[in-house]
Amino acid sequence: MTMRMNILHQEFGMRRQSVIIWSLAIAALILLYLSLFSSFAADAALLNEMMSQFPKELLTAFGMNDTDLSTVLGYFGLAFLFVQICLAIQAASYGFALVSIEEREWTADFLLAKPVGRAQILTSKLLAVLAGLAITDAVVWGASLLALAMFTGGQSFETKPLWLLLLSVVPFQLFFLSVGLVVSLLVKRIRSVTPYAMALGFGMYVLSAFGDLLGESALEKITPFQHFDPHYIVQHAAYDAPLAALSLAVIVVSLVASYVLYRRRDIPAVV
Amino acid sequence: MNIFVREVKGNLKSLLIWSVIVALFVTIGTAKFSAYFENPEMLKVLDAMPPALLAAFSMEGFNLTTVSGFVGLMFAYYVLMLGIAAAMWGSEIISKEERDKTVEFALTLPVTRSRVVTAKALAALFNCVALLLVTWGISIVTARPYSPDAAFYRFLALLMLALFLLQLVFLAIGLLLGCAMKQYRRASSLAVSVLLGTYFLSIITALSAKLDFLKYLTPFKYFDAVKILNESRLDGGFVALSLAIVVVSMVGAYVTYARRDLYI
Repeated sequence: MTMRMNILHQEFGMRRQSVIIWSLAIAALILLYLSLFSSFAADAALLNEMMSQFPKELLTAFGMNDTDLSTVLGYFGLAFLFVQICLAIQAASYGFALVSIEEREWTADFLLAKPVGRAQILTSKLLAVLAGLAITDAVVWGASLLALAMFTGGQSFETKPLWLLLLSVVPFQLFFLSVGLVVSLLVKRIRSVTPYAMALGFGMYVLSAFGDLLGESALEKITPFQHFDPHYIVQHAAYDAPLAALSLAVIVVSLVASYVLYRRRDIPAVV
Repeated sequence: MNIFVREVKGNLKSLLIWSVIVALFVTIGTAKFSAYFENPEMLKVLDAMPPALLAAFSMEGFNLTTVSGFVGLMFAYYVLMLGIAAAMWGSEIISKEERDKTVEFALTLPVTRSRVVTAKALAALFNCVALLLVTWGISIVTARPYSPDAAFYRFLALLMLALFLLQLVFLAIGLLLGCAMKQYRRASSLAVSVLLGTYFLSIITALSAKLDFLKYLTPFKYFDAVKILNESRLDGGFVALSLAIVVVSMVGAYVTYARRDLYI
């Protein structure tokens, strides 16, 4: 279970450019959204007044029930949803690619012939990805705090929901990373990572948005976009504990299953 | 023709998976819709509201108690799903030859590169049309229990036409990226970036009227279901814009692929 520094280095280096691009793109997204806040807040106050006259069922149907877009955090929660989509796709693509790329590019037999256990390989690779994701997180946090300081026009807001929101990205990413990894080990071969990552990341988002649109049902509960719903966190200043625990359980099960599956995986080799 | 048949066969599984996803999605949506259909409480609420207020939220067309309103609401999701499928097919169908290290073989055959692109583009188009027909068919089947009138079918047909144009736009962009990118792995991730970027943009434009000019940049805003329902026609300017994007992308695809240094 220990790790190997040289594998970690290699893996981290391979992903460096991708991590930089994702981080900068997400930071730009946050800054762009928040820079629109002041021009939008004025309209939003009016909007809220109008919306308060609507019946609750109608607002639920349009996914607007508990969003107050005229407040800093209400607006930030909306922007944060897009951050979540990006993070989901990034983490899912890293998860799907983690070990499948060796088989696709015929380097798996080379790697596995080295005097390193499979569990060691997986641990080293995972740590390298986690380092990349941690860098992205740091950039996201920095950009969020910077944008909130720059563009809120002196409006005050509570810090607790903000921190809960920002910290929620860690289990959120882990969910997509570990599920991507375990799925990549369950299927025989992954020919292209992007469609898989899109299907998992964006599919979960669509499922969640769709659930908001047409009322509650059980199926939507499987998506982390519901587990760490920004609106819920902003409104309650807390996580939806049972759902967050569901996310954590999925992460643990997926990681354990990944180790088991990878250790006994049949690896295709160049003939 | 050989390339076309081969590509269609090769993509059959992907097409089946997408069809199942769309079918599931429509079925679940319709099941939820049944709670809203001619729900007297909802109707009362809608009747009680001043028309100006409804217009402010563009709800006048999105009357959830009617089948047309429901399908109008679903349209955004159709665009999203079929758009992703089209962009993926477009970029993958070109770039996969390099990923699978078959590009040398494919291009040593006695066919020109432009014919390869044509055959592959047609195969991807075939997939898009098939998925569109699946979506159309399922929409009709699931709407039937609510005995929609002829106007609904006309509305649905127009929506599908809009959907087809948007598929073409995303397919052409995907093909262009597949042809133009030197590194095969960039092609599909860039296609995804374009899709995500334009999707986020479409949501920003909805936030404030001041950002209305951005709608030209995002295909998700080209055809508005409410407008289609009210005017029962597509906006000519945006039809032209879509076709222009398709033509420019396809020309770009042929030009770049013809002179492309292959990744081996």
